[in-house]
Amino acid sequence: MNASFQSARRAVGRLTGSTGSDGTASPTLDMIGARADAPRLVAPTTIEGPPALARRRVPGAPTIGFAAFLDGTQESRVLEYVGVVPVVHGTVAAVIRARHERRLRTHGDGPLVERAVYLPVDLLPHLATIDDWTVVDTGPVAGDVAHPMALLERAVHAVQERREQLERRLAEAWCAGAADHPGALWIDGGLAKSAHVAGATAAVGVVKSHHTLHADAAGVAVIAALDAGERTTVLRVTSRQRTPVLSWYLRVRPPGGRGPLWGLVRVEVADTGDDVTARADTVSRWILAESSPLARPDPRWDTLTYGVRDCEEFLRAVS
Amino acid sequence: MSDDAPVADAPVADGPVGRVVATERKPNTSHEFHFWTALDAAVGIGTIVRVVGSHPVAGQVPVVYGVVVEGFSYTDLQTPLHDVLGHDGSPASAMHAATERTEIRLYTAAVLRRIPEEPLQPVPLGAVHLAGDADVAIALRMDGYLQDGAHRGIPIGIYRAGGLESPVYLDADFLLGPEAAHLNISGVSGLATKTSAVEWLLASIFAHFPAERGSVAAVCFNVKGPDLCFLDQAATNLDAADRALYERLGVPARPFANVRYFAPYTTRGYALNTLRSHSELAHTVTPLTWGLGEVLDFASVLLDKQDVDAKSDALIDFITDRVVDREFSDPILETTHRVRSFADLADWFGDLLRGMESRNSEIWRTHHVATVRKVRNRLSNISTRCAGLVTDSGQVSDLPFGRFEDRAVYVIDVALLDDDAQDLVFARVVSKLREYLERRDLGVKHVIVFVDELNKYAPSDGPETSVRKMLLDISERGRYLGLVLFAAQQFRSQVHRRVVGNAGTALFGRMDPDELATPGYAVLSPAMRTRLSTLEKGQLMVRHPHFAQPVFVRFPRPAVLSGREGAERFPPAVESTLDVAVTRALRALDPAVTLPWVQDAIALHDEADVLRARRITEQTRPADVRAFFRAQFRPIIPATPPTPRGAPPPLRTAPDDDPYAF
Repeated sequence: MNASFQSARRAVGRLTGSTGSDGTASPTLDMIGARADAPRLVAPTTIEGPPALARRRVPGAPTIGFAAFLDGTQESRVLEYVGVVPVVHGTVAAVIRARHERRLRTHGDGPLVERAVYLPVDLLPHLATIDDWTVVDTGPVAGDVAHPMALLERAVHAVQERREQLERRLAEAWCAGAADHPGALWIDGGLAKSAHVAGATAAVGVVKSHHTLHADAAGVAVIAALDAGERTTVLRVTSRQRTPVLSWYLRVRPPGGRGPLWGLVRVEVADTGDDVTARADTVSRWILAESSPLARPDPRWDTLTYGVRDCEEFLRAVS
Repeated sequence: MSDDAPVADAPVADGPVGRVVATERKPNTSHEFHFWTALDAAVGIGTIVRVVGSHPVAGQVPVVYGVVVEGFSYTDLQTPLHDVLGHDGSPASAMHAATERTEIRLYTAAVLRRIPEEPLQPVPLGAVHLAGDADVAIALRMDGYLQDGAHRGIPIGIYRAGGLESPVYLDADFLLGPEAAHLNISGVSGLATKTSAVEWLLASIFAHFPAERGSVAAVCFNVKGPDLCFLDQAATNLDAADRALYERLGVPARPFANVRYFAPYTTRGYALNTLRSHSELAHTVTPLTWGLGEVLDFASVLLDKQDVDAKSDALIDFITDRVVDREFSDPILETTHRVRSFADLADWFGDLLRGMESRNSEIWRTHHVATVRKVRNRLSNISTRCAGLVTDSGQVSDLPFGRFEDRAVYVIDVALLDDDAQDLVFARVVSKLREYLERRDLGVKHVIVFVDELNKYAPSDGPETSVRKMLLDISERGRYLGLVLFAAQQFRSQVHRRVVGNAGTALFGRMDPDELATPGYAVLSPAMRTRLSTLEKGQLMVRHPHFAQPVFVRFPRPAVLSGREGAERFPPAVESTLDVAVTRALRALDPAVTLPWVQDAIALHDEADVLRARRITEQTRPADVRAFFRAQFRPIIPATPPTPRGAPPPLRTAPDDDPYAF
């Protein structure tokens, strides 16, 4: 429970007349509704080789191609409940850590860090302004959305949206200055939320979670059978709200019986119309080159690259 | 200290090199703090840093000075196994990893000083800077004795860090008294630079000791090899860096201008018992010989306490007080004695014992005949045990007590003497120094006595000896007299703790790890101990009353010829025949003396007489050396042919009828 949270709690308390809590930290909310929907398969549109998803060994030795890593963090906690309405304190941050002489340093003007109070202003109009705090309206309330859990989810989603905004800002700035960078930017997650980034060759999105698998049943078997250093053929990922990107699955570590998704990442790159196979092989080699050092003790170390973990550790220290 | 060597105003390194950090597990205290630096920061064990607090306390931003005593480095690796896994067990592949793990350099520093001194609070968070000249002066509290008008700084060396070089000064009042005094230096032989450090420090003292605080001289006991035998000869190995250090510290890079050497004779007595016996230098060594009067007061040094009991002591005291150097008569004696030498004493004993035997008396003046015999035996063999130093004849050649000169070094070479003789030399010289200093007529106000191998003379265990008692006395009371002990040893832990404990200043060269494992070094951090065990020649760790923590300094090579080089350049002469030895000795006084002349002069005389004549001549240094030398021999009556006697008278013949005549 940091000073920012306590400060916000006091500020809100002054307006609500709350006597405050017992001083203990409320739990973080960021896992709420994280994956409430069911895992699913999305039929792939392959653009490399045969229509069905296939395995390919990444040729050549891993090579260093990334110059920087981007990631963001978020943390949200309930400041207090005004009646049944939660008032949430949210901290979001994002950073690019660039590599110089094999060591990671903060890129550009430093990390972006924002702290704000999230609440539905409709329900709590007297809290629309809280001292010097940024108040983020979590949106109008209608019907049974006034359920406290639903309000919490909306707050968390608002925090998440703010975090993604920061990540997009940094990624777009990187892509805008791509000519000045010696290599590509590793973005933790997909590219598609920013059309500018999704169309740039200076960024590569690496997705660690596989709640949605871009494969049919046969394709799932292909993905599960990938050995370390193997990838699937390239497919195109499209959706109505997102810019189409090229994607493929890559096994970065030998699964060793740990499960079909262990050590598996999905890579997203811009669809630039170049030689797809060459592009996928090159980027795959870059990703395989980042398999050491290990990101342990993080439990996601099988897919979490050290550079991204460094971003998280950095943001934990500064936010 | 010269006027132009006050606190220097060299620029302090710009920009912080670190930041103070504190955690609940590793909090800062009023005496210790932690800070991190960039990986390439010029910070290491022994670096002096300045912390500038972030917030004022009582209206003043606190500034804290510290010296790094420990360093840590670690990464975000939780277990080494993760690194092995990450590189598939192949160290070679680790070299190709795209990213190096995040690594920290975390240092622990001990507080040297804080400004303001009160309130005494834990070290604040803040930026850490390398200390510049002015910072070092403040941190080590040197500002008090380097300020205008103080003139008490004695340069001990240069503190170096991050491209900065700052002179470090000792306070003369705490090095030579009266506030504190004495210096002790430890280190392994050959690597520890003990002798070099003392030679350098003496040069520094002679250059900077303020005249208004009186005169100073040094008495050095050369106890091993040729270490101190060439203090008047210029070094041949000074490089530009050494000369720069001399320049920076304001000490002339030249050998001692005024050095006097003393050495006893060899057992045979032909030559002086010193490694400074090369023909070019031998004439600069003054004989050191003592007679009965000089030795008797220190007989206890040579006598075994288990053997010489109170009864013997009483007789020795009687002889010292009533017999030596005065007319002594007694009914039991055949003649009146005036005992001036061991030979005279032997005569006195002989006369006394004969008298007791003739009277069949077992007691003389309360002394039993057995005690008399025992004391005679013990005293009479002193001149044998210390042959070359102690003379039967009573000839005396001594240090110039009462005429000591300012900034002079008096080297007494006892390296080739046996232990008893060394002890005797040490005991008597130190006693005489003390005696003269008490009377304030030594000739100088302060005397530095340098003794190496202190663990031999003042061991932490073993029987109580006169020499150890003397060293304890100097270390505990010498500073009031101006008698200052500079002592060196390999193992500080093996020296009597009151001797080392009373040394206000302590220097440490490279130390033996086993020695560093002894309890006396427990106050040092493991990193400091490690650094001590790897110090290069020319580096020292210095403890001084003004320094809250030890600091590391570098000093230049001495500007004098080292013992080893000196022995190569001036190889000692082989002890020659009597005539050659006498020729060498006399030629130093009169170059016209030749070997044939000497051979002719001594041809008819005993060896003892020749040696006595030489000693007297050397001591007297007459204008006409040859005449004086010849005059020392007793005249020899020339042989005359026998007078022919007349023919013997004829025998009387016997009568023929005398039957009994035959």
